[in-house]
Order: sequence, then C-alpha cells, then structure tokens
Amino acid sequence: MPLFRRKEEKEEKKGEGGLKGILYGMAVHGSVTAFLRTRMYMEHLFMLMTLGDMLGFPIIPPYYSLKLLPYVVPNIKSWKMRMFRERDFTDLISG
Amino acid sequence: MADILNTPSLWVLGALVAYGIAYFVYSKWVDEKIWEVSPDRPTPAHMYMDGVEFFPVSRSVLYGFQFKSVAALGPILGPFVAISYGWLPALLWIIFGNMFIGWVQDYSTIMITVRNEGRSMGPLVYQYVGEKPRSILLGYLLFYLLIISAVFIYLISLFWAVFPGTFLATLTIIVFSVIIGHLLYRLQANIYAVTLLAILAVILAVVIGVKVQGPEKAINERLGDNAQAFWMVVLAVILFIASIAPMPTFITPMNFVSTFPALAGVAILIIGALVSPAVGVTLKQPTYTEFWPKIGPLFPVLFVSIACGAISGWHSLVSTSTTGKQLDVETDARPVGAGAMLTEGMLALSALAAYMVLSPEEVGAKISSFVLGATRLSSSYLGGTAAMWKAFFALFLVIYAITVQTLVTRYWRVFSGEIFTGGLSFLGDKYVATFTGLVIPVLFALSGSWWNLWIYFGGSNQLLAGLALMLVAIIIVRMKKPPTYALAPAVFMTIVTISALIWETYVYAHGVWVYLTTGDASVLQAKPPLSEHPTAAFAMNVVFVIVGIALVVLGLMMTYYLVTALSKARQESG
Repeated sequence: MPLFRRKEEKEEKKGEGGLKGILYGMAVHGSVTAFLRTRMYMEHLFMLMTLGDMLGFPIIPPYYSLKLLPYVVPNIKSWKMRMFRERDFTDLISG
Repeated sequence: MADILNTPSLWVLGALVAYGIAYFVYSKWVDEKIWEVSPDRPTPAHMYMDGVEFFPVSRSVLYGFQFKSVAALGPILGPFVAISYGWLPALLWIIFGNMFIGWVQDYSTIMITVRNEGRSMGPLVYQYVGEKPRSILLGYLLFYLLIISAVFIYLISLFWAVFPGTFLATLTIIVFSVIIGHLLYRLQANIYAVTLLAILAVILAVVIGVKVQGPEKAINERLGDNAQAFWMVVLAVILFIASIAPMPTFITPMNFVSTFPALAGVAILIIGALVSPAVGVTLKQPTYTEFWPKIGPLFPVLFVSIACGAISGWHSLVSTSTTGKQLDVETDARPVGAGAMLTEGMLALSALAAYMVLSPEEVGAKISSFVLGATRLSSSYLGGTAAMWKAFFALFLVIYAITVQTLVTRYWRVFSGEIFTGGLSFLGDKYVATFTGLVIPVLFALSGSWWNLWIYFGGSNQLLAGLALMLVAIIIVRMKKPPTYALAPAVFMTIVTISALIWETYVYAHGVWVYLTTGDASVLQAKPPLSEHPTAAFAMNVVFVIVGIALVVLGLMMTYYLVTALSKARQESG
C-alpha cells in the first residue's frame, strides 16, 4: 500500500491510513525524508558531474556526458527546482 | 465523589475533555473563520512536488511524524519542576497553555508555510520582518541548541548514574538499532519481522536493566560524586558517533526502535491515571504550595517549566521546515498540527499524574522520582514487579532524551557547517563541529545546576514560540484577518519568557555578586564535583550570566523587530 499518494488517489482510497499510517509516521517517515535528502545531495553531485561540461565544469569528457544525457534529462526539471529553492539554517532541522 | 477527586482520574479526564473542546470547537473555528481552509486550494506539496522535500503525505502519517518529532523530555520532566507550586497550577497550565497557545502555534506555523510557498521559518522571518532579524534568529538558535544539549546531557547521565542497569539497557537498544538499520536499509528485510525484532529488543533491554545491574553499581560506587561526570563522557562518545555516522546507520533506526517503548509508556500511564480510583492509587502531592518556593516565583517560572506539554518553540521549526511542505490538503493542518500538539499535552498529563501520586518527600529534589510515580501507576493495575517497571520507565526516559539529543547534536554539526565560513571554516568541519557541540554543553552540564538551566531552556524555547506566534499574527494582519487568537498568546509568551530569562540571569548574577563581595561559594549555582572548586564554579556562573544576557538581548531585539513589522503590517493593511 503506498503511503504517499496524491489527493485524487486519496479520495479513491478513503479509510486507508489510520493506525498503520500513524505508526509509519512515528517510526519511519522521518527516516524516509532523511534518506530522500541524502539521495538528493548525491543526485546533485551526479547531475553536476554529468552536466558539468555544459555548465562550465569539465568533470568528465563530453563523450560520456552525451551517453548519459538521456538518463539525466528527465531529472533536470526537479533538479533545477531544488537547486534554485531558497534554503537556510531553519531547513537543516529536517536532516 | 471525594474519593475520586483524591485520585488523578477525574482531573486527567477533565483535561482530556478540555483538549476535546480545543480540538473540536476552538481549532475548528480558527480553521474555518481565520484561515478559511479549502481542500481545493493547492498546497506547496503539490505545487512544488519534487519527491524529496515537497510531496503530499497522508494526514495520519504526518500526524505520527509531527507527534514523534515534537515529543521529548519537556513534557515528561517539566511537571517535576512545576510541581513545586503544587499539582493544580501545573495541571491548569498544561490544560490552558495547550488549549489557547500550544496547538495555536503548531497549527498556525504549518499554515503560514502552506500559504507562503512552503517557506521555512528563516525565509519567512526574512520576508516579513527583515534581513537583520533573520541573523538574530540564527544567533538565538545557536544559544538555544547549546542549552538544550546541556540539559539533556545532564539528565541522561543522571539517569544512568541513578538507575544502575539503565546504561546497559540503553546500549542494548543502540546495538539492536544498528542491526535493525542494517536489516531495513541494506538487506531490505520484511518490515513486520523487523518491527517484531525491535519490540523484542525493548523487552530484552528491560530484562537486562533488571538483571544486570552489578557492573554499573560497581562503577557508580567506585566513582562516587564523579559517577555522573563519567557517564557524561560516555554519552558524549555515543553522541559523537551518532552525529558523524550516516543517518540510516544510527539515528533513524534508533528513532524507529524508540517509538515502541515511547508509545507504550504514554498509553500505560494515561490508562493508569484513569483507572486509579479502582486500584486505590491516590493523590499525595499538595494541591497548591506557595507562590515563591525555592525555584522562584510562580510567575513567570511556572510558564517556562513545562515546555513542550503546553507550548514549545521547537515545534514551529518542525512545522515550517518539514510538515508544512508535505501537507496534502489544507484541511489536514488541523488534525496534524493541533492534533499532534494536543496529544503531546496528554504526554505531559501522564507525566504529571506520575508525580501527583507521590508524596512531597518521595519527590524531594529527585528528578528521577518520575520513575517511582510511573511505577506506582502502572503496577497498580498491570501487576508485575516494581523492578521491572522501574527498569522500563528509566529506559523510557533515557530513550526519549537520547533520540532527541542525537538529532540536536547532529543539527548543531550541520548548522556549524553552514554558518562557519571563510577564516572560521575549520569550526564547520564535521569532527570539530561535533566536538565543540558536545564539549560546551558537557561543561555547562558539569555545573550540575540543571534546575536553573531548565529555566533557560524553557525560557528560550517558549520565547521562540512567542516570536513564531508574533510572525503568525503579522501574516494574518497581511491577510486582513483578525490576529487576536495568535497575537494575545504571542504577547503573553513574550512577556512571560523574557521575565523568566531575566529572573534566571538574576539568580546567577546574584550568586556571582555575593561570591565576589563575600567570598561565599555556597551561593553559586553548582553541584559536586564542580562545587568543590569555587573558582571553576564561579567561572561557570559568569558564563551562565553571559548566556542569560545574550538570550534576553537577542529575544528583546527579535521582539522589537517583530512589533515594528506588525505595526507596519497594520498600517499597510488599513
């Protein structure tokens, strides 16, 4: 059962969540958020490595960048969103 | 009837009814009339969904997350300090503080994030108050983290020193947490099997806490007054490892394992209080003692002694940094923000009930008396040996404290990495930052004046809440809505907390002054072994005066900027 779902799906699956959701939230949700952030920072690094030459950081040869490009393109939008978002010290509390 | 009134039962039941009114009537009114929430208005979780920080999470998951993130030692040990005035003032503050201030802050700070593109506290302060106040907030948080760490390090080490067997029980939890972390995240083991293992680990830890007390007793006897200092060093080593290790290997699995005893403990105590008339557990604390006991005057000290159970500024940081970004629909803010806070009030109620059934002599000056009261409430209707319950509740206390403290130490480290740049960048180094983030609080804790530090902790924590509420009021004024429901508690909390911080600074300053003029070291706030070295005790008291002044000045500056921004918002909004 997916614990994260969009509003429309939520309406379809009314009645789900409850105690299981609360226990999940208490025990695991904080960890999931922390892992997602860790992965986000790793992905930032990966994006910088693969797209580096296009941004002026020639980290790996363009030949390999081009080979990886099809895999990277789908992530560019969310990458930009995360990179441009304002963050400060009060964001650090969540990991 | 008189018999029932002489037990915690009706009082706890009355508080639960009051919380019900707060949730079903007051919060609903604020939700509908002030914020006019709508399930159709898109939330940042949908608008900016990136699958990492912004993504919609179901309300029950967020409720559980919010509750676990905000519940710590504050509501459990705060009542111990507050009961110096008798149980009734403490009970009234837990009820009315939460009813009119606590949930208001938690819920409203979620809403200001939701209505402001998912911004956290810092960017919100920057947007509505200015650049300088954001820097002041940063400085304020630095002191705040040091104080929290000092208090928690003191208390965890005290529990290890007072309850032999508890350290090995904690160590068992830690070892199993590391194994569970490996099973969950490396081997992706079945979650139900891992949960069962976590529960077994807790049972094993309690058994060890009961059966294997010899080694810790021997250490405590051998070290005498220095035993607690020894446990502080041991704790600092554990916290150091927790802070530098990757989250999945230590902190997050420990959080997972600790959920089970934490939940069980609260449920056992609340039920114990409710069934107390049937099992003959009666109130032994006086209803009211005096306005000015040894700890200080009821106003303002009572209002900062019980922190998280009534109101806590820490919650505003959790609400704005994570919860507000993951709210699925606006109508979820009430069950998540108000619901979790009122549940935390129940945690404070359960702790207060544990103190209410102890006589003043049993409580004395022993913070560890919570375990005695909790044991009495639980064993009265569940049976079991006193040793077993004692081991369980001692572990319950340590687990609550240590899971939060690992996060606070890590927070300090990441914080330092962000703010120390240029010539000071060495202070932001992973190892150096963790080291400083532990050494300073350990030095503070060594003074032994945790009672006074608790007031600093409560004062700074609740002042942060007052400031957050003031920010909420500014945003509501900008929305052209009546801000009184947030502004009135903001003004009250600001006055109370700054008064409490000034009072506690005076207590330290008075000791310093008397020592300087008469050479009498007994007036200094210090306990053995530090009190045996007057010069060191004097130096620590001077440091605490400086910390107190810094907190007061930073708090006053923030208040000034917020009031100015509020008045500007009023003018601009007509």
